[in-house]
Amino acid sequence: MRDSDFYFRKIDWVSIGLYFLLVFFGWINIYAAVYDEQNAKSIFDLSINSGSQMVWIATAVLLIILILVADYRLFENLSLVLYAFFIILLILTPIIGKEINGQRAWFEIGAFRLQPAEFAKFATALALAKIMEANTFDLSKVKYQLRALGIIGLPALFILFQPDFGSAMVYSAFFILLFREGMPNRYYVLAITLILLAILAILIENNFIVVGVIGVCLVIVFFIGKKNWQKVVTLAFLGVFMIGYVYSIDFVVSKLPPHHQNRIMVLFDPDIDPLGVGWNVTQSKIAIGSGGLTGKGYLEGTQTKFDFVPEQHTDFIFCTLGEEFGWIGSLVVIALFITLLLRLVFLAERQKTRFSRVYGYGVISILFFHFFINISMTVGMFPVVGIPLPFFSYGGSSLWAFTILLFIFIKLDSHRIQILGRMS
Amino acid sequence: MNIKRSILFRVRVAFLLTSAIGIAIFYKITQVQFVDGDKWRQMSENIHLQYRPVKATRGNIYSGDGSLLATSLPFYRVVLDPSISKEDRFRNGIDSLATLLSGYYKDKSATQYKRIISDARNSGKKYLIINRKQIGYQEKLAMMKWPIFRDGRLGGGIIFEKVDQRYRPFRSLAGRTVGFLNEDDYGVGLEYSFNEFLQGRNGEALFQKIAGGSWKPLHDAEDIKPTDGFDIVSTLDINIQDVAESALLRQLINKDANFGSVIVMEVATGHIKALANLEKNKSGNGYGENYNYAVGDQGLTEPGSTFKLLSMLALLEEGKISLQDSIDTGDGVFKFYDRSMRDAKNGGFGRITVREAFEKSSNIGISRLVNDQFGVAPVKFINYISKVGLDKPVGFQLKGEGVPYFKTPGTKSWYGTTLPWMSIGYELKVTPLQTLTLYNAIANDGKMVKPLIVKQISKGNYVEETYDTEVLNKQIASKKTIQYLRSLLEGVVENGTARNIRNNDYSIAGKTGTAQKLVDGRYTQTYYTSFVGYFPADNPKYSAIIVIDSPKGFQAYGGDISAPVFKEIADKIHAQDLKLNLDKTLVSNKTPYAGDLPFIQAGLTEDVQMLCNKFGISNHYQEQEKWVRSKVTNKSIQWVTNRINEKQVPDVTGMALRDALYILENNGLRVLFSGKGRVKSQSLPSGTTISPKSTIKITLG
Repeated sequence: MRDSDFYFRKIDWVSIGLYFLLVFFGWINIYAAVYDEQNAKSIFDLSINSGSQMVWIATAVLLIILILVADYRLFENLSLVLYAFFIILLILTPIIGKEINGQRAWFEIGAFRLQPAEFAKFATALALAKIMEANTFDLSKVKYQLRALGIIGLPALFILFQPDFGSAMVYSAFFILLFREGMPNRYYVLAITLILLAILAILIENNFIVVGVIGVCLVIVFFIGKKNWQKVVTLAFLGVFMIGYVYSIDFVVSKLPPHHQNRIMVLFDPDIDPLGVGWNVTQSKIAIGSGGLTGKGYLEGTQTKFDFVPEQHTDFIFCTLGEEFGWIGSLVVIALFITLLLRLVFLAERQKTRFSRVYGYGVISILFFHFFINISMTVGMFPVVGIPLPFFSYGGSSLWAFTILLFIFIKLDSHRIQILGRMS
Repeated sequence: MNIKRSILFRVRVAFLLTSAIGIAIFYKITQVQFVDGDKWRQMSENIHLQYRPVKATRGNIYSGDGSLLATSLPFYRVVLDPSISKEDRFRNGIDSLATLLSGYYKDKSATQYKRIISDARNSGKKYLIINRKQIGYQEKLAMMKWPIFRDGRLGGGIIFEKVDQRYRPFRSLAGRTVGFLNEDDYGVGLEYSFNEFLQGRNGEALFQKIAGGSWKPLHDAEDIKPTDGFDIVSTLDINIQDVAESALLRQLINKDANFGSVIVMEVATGHIKALANLEKNKSGNGYGENYNYAVGDQGLTEPGSTFKLLSMLALLEEGKISLQDSIDTGDGVFKFYDRSMRDAKNGGFGRITVREAFEKSSNIGISRLVNDQFGVAPVKFINYISKVGLDKPVGFQLKGEGVPYFKTPGTKSWYGTTLPWMSIGYELKVTPLQTLTLYNAIANDGKMVKPLIVKQISKGNYVEETYDTEVLNKQIASKKTIQYLRSLLEGVVENGTARNIRNNDYSIAGKTGTAQKLVDGRYTQTYYTSFVGYFPADNPKYSAIIVIDSPKGFQAYGGDISAPVFKEIADKIHAQDLKLNLDKTLVSNKTPYAGDLPFIQAGLTEDVQMLCNKFGISNHYQEQEKWVRSKVTNKSIQWVTNRINEKQVPDVTGMALRDALYILENNGLRVLFSGKGRVKSQSLPSGTTISPKSTIKITLG
């Protein structure tokens, strides 16, 4: 008894508090999104989404209790089994899953529908933590880099088959984790350069970029000096590769189906097609923009009642917040998220085992990515990809998956001292 | 140490990245909400303004005698723009208003109402739905006197939003005939068939969307005025309809039958006076109007013996037999090829005259006669059917009339036994309405008229369309044949299968029918019983058909089941219709029309309307005022508004003392009265201004 009391007190109540605040805020916003004054129903009414979400929240609390009372060693021991299990589920999903909106992303078990892609995220984080636990695992070596990439790439690949680009993209978030664990900088420099080049390739005339690339290369050569000719040659190759890349981006974009092209172009100029592709974003911006400083008041939103913003209770939940609670409400929620993320960074850094730390960064990476992409797309900074806002969006699978993801880490964190004891 | 530095560096980068992106999002939101805020708010407003339809008021449906069968009553939704009222008016009025609202709606306390309204006012709301419950016109009038509300739309911010509701003063009476319309503009009956006239044309007005999906009108008046729908005047007679429905219902319950229909038609004009269809409810308890069996597709059926009239018509027109000729019907079983024809009487009728064969409804008699006459060339028999016009729908005004079905000689479905069975009403299908049309033609001396249910479409005094009696066939058979047929139909009641409805007051002519029902290709022991005929037989005024499907019990013949219903309806009509028994009533010195109506001259609208409705006196009123006086038009009462103006002497003549006292004293007059009865005269003329403390003398008598 005393033992468990001890670990209970070690639980990070700050994270838990932030979690519940976000879940609660999400819940009342889901109600606002479906609220119909003509036919007002209680927030607890099970026939509307807020009622269902309440059930999801209640069951999530059960999950939390289960995770907190379980043996903390369980997660480490089962990590690879869980990973294998979800990979098999992901393979099966496109075959026997239920087709909704052209995606086979759902498993139907009786009245329940589960989205394995959501749950595969925490299993992947566990598996990564497990393989990186070994002292010999060194991300500066290509062999280990490939292993890590394999663990990340496998679920992403199967999710692409469903096809669900948004969820697959989430797996790229693990590069944040890999960065923390020592993946060489050059990859990131290269990746960021390529992304910037891609954006530039879309935005401006290719010839300018070519001139720019050559210019930058020459400047670098000037600093390296002629002595280091090997580096100069590498640089030259890189330069040529980048120029080719810029042209190929243009080529690929022109080969994309028009509605995908538009989705990208809309980012840079939302007025191209405000009623078509830009519709969601324009509507979302109208909702947020018309909220002003303090918002229109709870349940007083006019923009966000189903008819204007599509997917409003799931992926576009943030604009309900923006409209009804205004700038201040948005700010509070963003602050809550950032606080939670920074708190998690702090927790991850205080872990004594690599397993816990890596897992912690896995949690941070995924939450961060979701948070960033989701809000960015609602305010028009990123193309519309259907991924939920953690703890906030409507949906059982996503709430459960994020809850499990977070609370396994909180559980591991509460045992950090015990783990140390075991190690020594 | 290098590793440690590297990790520190990476953690810092992660930190920075998180913060940077946080800041980026923060920046973007700030930009959307402040920098571009006006632009988005403008767009939001634009989306929220829309031209939306303003519903036209749907036309009324009247019965032939002017009673309202269906009308649209205005109801109101109470909405307040709480920002409009002036501060002092608001502060002074809000408490009593909240108390009144709470007392009226009884769903929230006065404190709650006060809080809701005050909160809405403080937050600058411009549209507050006080309560979703709709109120009637009288309640609206009462509310308009409440504090804040009484300052009106522009001073107090009160908005009464009108919502029309369909109302049927006679409830379910003729329910299926009046019909309904669902939200997709699909339905049945008059409401559906005449929808294009009833619905009018919707107008348009600029609306603004507000929270919760409600739309608020932006201006007081519509931008395009709605055009109200036309009124439909049907031929139905409420009294006959009532009699028909209750007689039918009683018999259905009595015999536990599946369904039944009644049509009553005016012989000369084809006007449908009553059209009732009752069917056992799915639950098995009670009967309701679910389908128009009298007219529609599902009402198509093998009519049985009522069709023998057409066989007789064909035989007589051929001119080769006379009613006194005899025919051997044998022992009650006769074989046509491999199929046995049977008569209802055990042991058979033996040798009987043609007249007897019809009156006793001998299947063998009629079918042998027809087979002998037309067996060689059945086409000739079919030609009589088309000559009469029975092979085509009558073109009834209600949508969905069933199309009659007859076999054609020489086709695959035509057997050697078809003609004899056809002659007694099998192997063919017609609706009760079509059968009645034929009988009505006989009653009308051979002139077949089209059944009519709507006689006029109008609005106020403007008549859009009038439907006159349309002749389908000027002479369906020779005068002589018609005369014979009429004597045969009278004989059925005098001596034949409908002897049970014979009476001494007036004579009925008609024909019974008892058809075995075809279930899954076999004729079963369940019956479709009918009686169709007309009265008075010597000078037919009304014709009617009664069908009752699957009655239970031993006596399941048309004569026992349907004929008594006919008698009951005919009795009542005969007793009520002055023109029918004019010769038998004592000549009174009152004019017949005035004699119909009770002595009501003026009073409280609600009271006098209730009184008239209780006594089944048709009365109508277009307005919604509290006091009315009566005006007699065309056998019904038209209420005329009796305006009571403040500070003017009202006109109380014709009122009962109670009403007169109430009005006069409310207007601040002292009242002296003498006499008994109704107000005959008043000492101050109506319309004069009331000076304080003046006295009025009224004389009753």
